[in-house]
Amino acid sequence: MKTPRMETDLYWNPIVETLPLERLRDLQVRKFRKIVQWAYERSKFHRKLYQEAGLEPADIKSYDNLAKVPKVEKAMMRDIQRKDPFPYGDALCVSLDEVTEFRQTSGTTGTPVYQPDTWQDWEWWSEAWAYLLYAQGYRRTDRVFIPFGYNIFVAFWAGHYAAEKIGCEVIPGGVLDTEARILKIQELRANAMMATPTYVLGMADTAKKKLGIEPAKDLSIRKITCAGEPGASIPSTKQRMEEVWGAKVYDHVGATEIGAWGFECTAQPGGLHVNEALFLTQLEDIETGQIIEEPGRKGKIVITALDRIAQPCIRFDSKDVAEWAKDACPCGRTFRLIKGGVAGRADDITKIKGVLLAPSAIEEVVHSIKGLGNEFEVVVTKKGDLDDITLKIEILPDEEKNREAILVTLKDQLRLKTNLGYNIEVHPYNSLPRYEVKAKRFKDLRKHG
Amino acid sequence: MNRREFRKMDTRIKAIRKAAHDLKELSGGIQAVDRNVDRILASVKMLEINVSDILDLRL
Repeated sequence: MKTPRMETDLYWNPIVETLPLERLRDLQVRKFRKIVQWAYERSKFHRKLYQEAGLEPADIKSYDNLAKVPKVEKAMMRDIQRKDPFPYGDALCVSLDEVTEFRQTSGTTGTPVYQPDTWQDWEWWSEAWAYLLYAQGYRRTDRVFIPFGYNIFVAFWAGHYAAEKIGCEVIPGGVLDTEARILKIQELRANAMMATPTYVLGMADTAKKKLGIEPAKDLSIRKITCAGEPGASIPSTKQRMEEVWGAKVYDHVGATEIGAWGFECTAQPGGLHVNEALFLTQLEDIETGQIIEEPGRKGKIVITALDRIAQPCIRFDSKDVAEWAKDACPCGRTFRLIKGGVAGRADDITKIKGVLLAPSAIEEVVHSIKGLGNEFEVVVTKKGDLDDITLKIEILPDEEKNREAILVTLKDQLRLKTNLGYNIEVHPYNSLPRYEVKAKRFKDLRKHG
Repeated sequence: MNRREFRKMDTRIKAIRKAAHDLKELSGGIQAVDRNVDRILASVKMLEINVSDILDLRL
């Protein structure tokens, strides 16, 4: 065996994170077979799913066989839950008394899905986050502030535990209001933070307006891990956050049902690494279902969590859309890169006036224009038979003198980047809704008639 | 780090797992022991994920 370069200062696990892809594949296939076997033996839901597809675990012999395994969608989980073994239903693969954690999804796409985890699964959650935080430069000398009230959703719980696992000092800022959180960051000289992009920008706004604090100058935060929304992978949003905080902003992607499966590293390569040690990530062509291995083609992300045991996540259709990056990352990790992060949820990508639109494209345009505020809103309606799209924006008070030029740039960039024309409504600064955690800026009223 | 050192780590990890199980068997149901052993075993699993699981790959 070649002696691998031991760079424990760069990687959480330098062996695994620099394994050649073909070795990672061997590992993934081996573990995939095990988790399918586990689910087949213990879960009526999975056994029925596989039997109806004419599949036995022993049929999975190689990477090419994986696509035979039927996918699981969120709606399927909704259908089997709230039944015995209560409340998880028959996708549960452990006895109820082994379940130590209950979380649920946010319910934005329908009835929340329950997620049980054993204590081992909970350790696994923090292990996945440890990979990503270490890749983002978190070390035991860091003082990490988490401005979030942990609750029934999984958000930031594992971030807290992973930061502890790495040896950081963790300050939970949950019950404090935004101003108190900012003052606590200042008081304790925290140097790292985890939050949604909406809140990162919102905190900066509050710091300036209500406390006269300039985060980049007066606060010591120098790295921020984002979660919950795509903002940190939208270049203009990332730039706004980095400038206002004087910090590096890193993205991560995960889901309650899956785990923390993707992360940006300190090299900031314009994409997210998929954690190939803990997850098997595939892209499927949206139309044909064919597995996409080559860069340059967008596909739907289908993921397996290789070690999660209470309610296994096997070939879960995340409904997120992505494409592989062409180049390897300068960080040296062999974990593949999703180019530009998650392009959008397949559910969010919608046709307007016959044109496919990902809402994140609008955010990229709005945040790339210096004179516009952080908040905006998009409303799609039907006028007779025709789609109509309105973009509500705020112009920064200091930039009102440039209003005409800003609006011209905005319309041009929107046309260029989204291929659509918009009704633009300028709203008074600070009048559009502000969001505490995740923004809900895109309102498609056509669905409601 | 060569394969021999990896195998040494794996041997130690297996020993920790065995010791944890043995401890639980000896405890006579003392919850202070059993529940803490369960936590140790969860951490052992993380060691296995990071070390033991990749041992048989052609590195």
